[in-house]
Amino acid sequence: MTRILIRHEAILGILFAVALFVMAAQSDRFLTTANLLNQARLMTEVGLIAIPMTFVIVTGGIDLSVGSILGLCAILVGVFWQNAGLPLPAAIGLSLLAGTAAGFANGLIITRFRVPPLIATLATLALYRGLAEGISQARSVRGYPEWFAVLGRGEFLGIPTQLWLFALVALAGIFLLRFTAFGRTTYAIGNSEAAAEFSGLPVERTKLLIYTASGFVSALAAIVFVSRVSTTRSDMGNGIELEVITAVVLGGTSIFGGRGMVIGTLIGLCLMQILQNGLSLSGVRGDGTTVVIGAVLIVAVLISNILGRFSND
Amino acid sequence: MTPILELKNISKAFGPVKVLTGVDFDLYAGEVHALMGENGAGKSTMIRIASGDHRADEGEIRLDGEPRRFAGPREAQAEGIAVVHQELLLFPALSVAENVFLGHQPKTAGGFVDWARMRREARELLDRLDCPNLDVDQRVSKLSVADRQRVEIARALSRNARVLIMDEPTAALAEADVRRLLEVIRRLRADGVGIVYVSHRMNEIFEIADRVTVLRDGRSIGTSKVADVTEGSLVSMMVGRDIHQLFPKVDIPRGETRLEVSGLSLAGVIEDISFDLHAGEILGIAGLVGSGRTELAQTIFGVTPATAGEIRVDGAPRRIASVRDAIAAGIAYVPEDRGLHGLVRPQPLRENVSMAILDRLTRYAVVDTGREQRLASEAIERFSIRARDARQRVGQLSGGNQQKVVLAKWLATDPKVLILDEPTRGIDIGAKTEIHRLMGELARKGLAILMISSELPEVLGMSDRILVMREGRLSAIVDRKDATPDSVGAAMMQTRREPAAAGGAR
Amino acid sequence: MSRRSFHAVSSLGQEILLVVVILALFAFVGAVNPRFVSENNLTSIFVGNAYIAVAAIGMSLVIVSGNIDVSIGALIGVLAVISGLLVTSGYPIWVAWLAPLLIGSAINALVGCLIAFARVPSIIATLAMLSILSGGLITFTGGRWISGLPAGYQLAQFRLLGVPSPVWFMVGMTIVAALLMRYTAFGRSVYAVGSNPEAARASGISPSSVVVRVFAIHGAIAGVAAVLFATQLQVIQSTTPVGLELVIITASVVGGVSILGGVGTVVGSTLAAILFAAIGSSLIFLNVSAYWLRAVQGVLILATVLADMARRRRTG
Repeated sequence: MTRILIRHEAILGILFAVALFVMAAQSDRFLTTANLLNQARLMTEVGLIAIPMTFVIVTGGIDLSVGSILGLCAILVGVFWQNAGLPLPAAIGLSLLAGTAAGFANGLIITRFRVPPLIATLATLALYRGLAEGISQARSVRGYPEWFAVLGRGEFLGIPTQLWLFALVALAGIFLLRFTAFGRTTYAIGNSEAAAEFSGLPVERTKLLIYTASGFVSALAAIVFVSRVSTTRSDMGNGIELEVITAVVLGGTSIFGGRGMVIGTLIGLCLMQILQNGLSLSGVRGDGTTVVIGAVLIVAVLISNILGRFSND
Repeated sequence: MTPILELKNISKAFGPVKVLTGVDFDLYAGEVHALMGENGAGKSTMIRIASGDHRADEGEIRLDGEPRRFAGPREAQAEGIAVVHQELLLFPALSVAENVFLGHQPKTAGGFVDWARMRREARELLDRLDCPNLDVDQRVSKLSVADRQRVEIARALSRNARVLIMDEPTAALAEADVRRLLEVIRRLRADGVGIVYVSHRMNEIFEIADRVTVLRDGRSIGTSKVADVTEGSLVSMMVGRDIHQLFPKVDIPRGETRLEVSGLSLAGVIEDISFDLHAGEILGIAGLVGSGRTELAQTIFGVTPATAGEIRVDGAPRRIASVRDAIAAGIAYVPEDRGLHGLVRPQPLRENVSMAILDRLTRYAVVDTGREQRLASEAIERFSIRARDARQRVGQLSGGNQQKVVLAKWLATDPKVLILDEPTRGIDIGAKTEIHRLMGELARKGLAILMISSELPEVLGMSDRILVMREGRLSAIVDRKDATPDSVGAAMMQTRREPAAAGGAR
Repeated sequence: MSRRSFHAVSSLGQEILLVVVILALFAFVGAVNPRFVSENNLTSIFVGNAYIAVAAIGMSLVIVSGNIDVSIGALIGVLAVISGLLVTSGYPIWVAWLAPLLIGSAINALVGCLIAFARVPSIIATLAMLSILSGGLITFTGGRWISGLPAGYQLAQFRLLGVPSPVWFMVGMTIVAALLMRYTAFGRSVYAVGSNPEAARASGISPSSVVVRVFAIHGAIAGVAAVLFATQLQVIQSTTPVGLELVIITASVVGGVSILGGVGTVVGSTLAAILFAAIGSSLIFLNVSAYWLRAVQGVLILATVLADMARRRRTG
């Protein structure tokens, strides 16, 4: 198993190096600390959600509702703070709680009612986004206090604040998946849920926790997002689930479950971000970059499929 | 007369493993030719070659005396060779009629599927198989195993099969259904169909077959008229040895009671099972597939928690509502389906061996990989598992070695009671003997062993006592000294239904 | 007898349920606000949403075959723009109507090949296509709408016997697709492959070729949907509604197509698409803010799915 992973990561690493090289050659503004840090800042929301998404996909599941949870939690911050008149920290706390509850609901639908994750989260994608739209009535909330912007636009020790948060979540993800019994159970579920169950591993609880964590981290990403753009709108995070899934799969996590690492996801994220940034610096308009990302996704999966066929199963 | 199907000097290897060596087989129209052999003897491969699924490395296939090569199952089907697969390759979501005709539906003049004719012809085929109650519009997912098998036979007949290969067709059938199936086979034989009948069950072979061919270790040992052989001669042809040599049973004094099961039921599946199991004892469970053996094991193990009854381990009553409860009570279960329930095949040996005791191997939630590695190395040594190292994926190991990994995984939990469900299914003779020897060793160390097996010789050869199940109930407990194929077989097959028992049943 | 037993096999329960719900909705909202059932409103419901029902037909085929397509929204957007560009750059109108069918079919046949032969899971392949198509579209058009469409191009605004053409397309294509799925060997092989690819292969069906053909057909149907989408207004938007792919997938699933493959009919998906359109419109007539639409849809999807799971558990 590790062999294939190393291979896939090696391919990614090479792709990453090539992309870096090409981009640096295209524009001398690319390989500057300021630009790279700024890119990292822009990457944080997708990156945060990609960590629990790696766990979700390793179990063989999927969570399409993360973008909607992000939107809903962003709206709730504004509503709790402005409309309900709560202090901002309390509003943030409640919003995080709501996101966690949304993730927990996903987990319950999937584990208790045995609805396939694709369908369950497709339904809650519509539901949570609908709640965001219904609650906000398309009104945006602005005018957040200055101190709140520190999270999304400020720096700490010369590094964008949210990157510290991201690093924390990423490290926690690496630790959990790689070294703990929880991570081991995650892989076992993805490879063979029945065998995991027959070995006495806590299958349901693990899945429930993972989807709940996915909701919580999506809410966290919502807070970072609101802080960065200083406004809340109900369409925030629309389509972010696809970017997140792309990053995770690009990072070598098998969509069938059982295989994948947080490190791979991080490389996948960086690759996506530098492609976007590099292309836009060399004059390709923003959306042209998504074309490249789509193509890279197919190529990465194709290559790993071909290699998988040669490695004996 | 020329045989309709002839396999001559067939050899086949998968990689370095030689599965068939110079096998001959022939089949005449209107004949039932039984194919026997232990698991791993090469029967399945032979069937696959005859049905065009695999291609032989050497040798030739003749149809009506003409040499043929099949590029795939489709060509073999076109020549009238059909297989009733053991795993029943059906479409659960589609109707009976559709399953019968999928791939060659009757068409109207306009080229559209003619549903009316399809349903009518399916009806006729099913009537020919003597199942007038089977609704052609029923979804296959709602049918019983016996009915699914009839659908699969009807499918073979719908292609005008001249050669029908049946791979252990009675393995999952209750006695009444076996009767009906044999009746169907007699009719087909009378219609001139040639039938290759693969089965382990001696009484069926003697009842239905005209000739029998025995395979062992990929070679044909011999073909005889059924009238010329006896059960004993067939068994020794199959195993190549005497039963007593085959099973290294050691006599161990019976220790104290480890497991007591009383009145155990799982609503609608098993009913009122009571027995006890002692340290150092091997208790065999015999019964037909579907008699509730595996269900009993999985109920004791907490996969499907009991709806009534009591389980005591070492005298203390234990509430077993989950697998975790069972493990905590000191019960371990080596499942029937290794690939599905026993192992996580893409993961390394090391991670499989530690899987059932993961929480004992963790400190502050972190898995102690050092201890895990030691555990795995010890297992490799103790059970002489042939693996590159502890990091090798278990999916790459042979069946026998995989089974040893499952055993190692469960023995790591330090169980008091070990349940083995078909412990030697699908593994070669060598590994089989090793596992039998290991069972004796474990029993000597005071482990109480419950062993489920479909192979009667194994049950007879290994068990101290034999618990016989039939239709979800305990039908007899036979002592080793009284156990013969006849006494145990009779307890498995009886179909008496006392009116008194029926009242309590449902 | 034949009809009755066909019902027992198909998931007709779901279809009857949908009809009942649709009728109940029309009756209830119509009673509260009679303008809801006025011809005007009915026309706008159907004309504005028929393309979704049409696209859901192809989606149902894809899901029955055991796959999924999340790029359908972007594909419709791309094909609509292609149609508009062709007609504004002087090609005959019929070319602008037909080209999206062929191009859609070709693109999706390619996606089908990726899935069938290169063994890229359908969700990944179509996810990538979603990026490629939507990114490509915006880059190419720069988000500008296409205007100056010639007279006679607005296919969706035509009427035949007083009924708007999108309704004809929706009903006609649903019937044809339903018949093809039931009465052709190909249609049945789609169910077979979705139900058990291994058994399909043993029956002499090639699962790969079925999947490629399903995607090609799905692409052509997406072309029809794109033309209906493009011709309903005097301009062509270069973006499709956000989340269109999810609405289409949802219509299939709520219509009774099992996401696990092998089960479902196109009639159900069309009914579900009508139901969604009607719910959207009814909110306005019930004086509920349209911003609640998605929440209502979400609850509805969730309820359908949970009911379906419960039913499946009961019947086994």
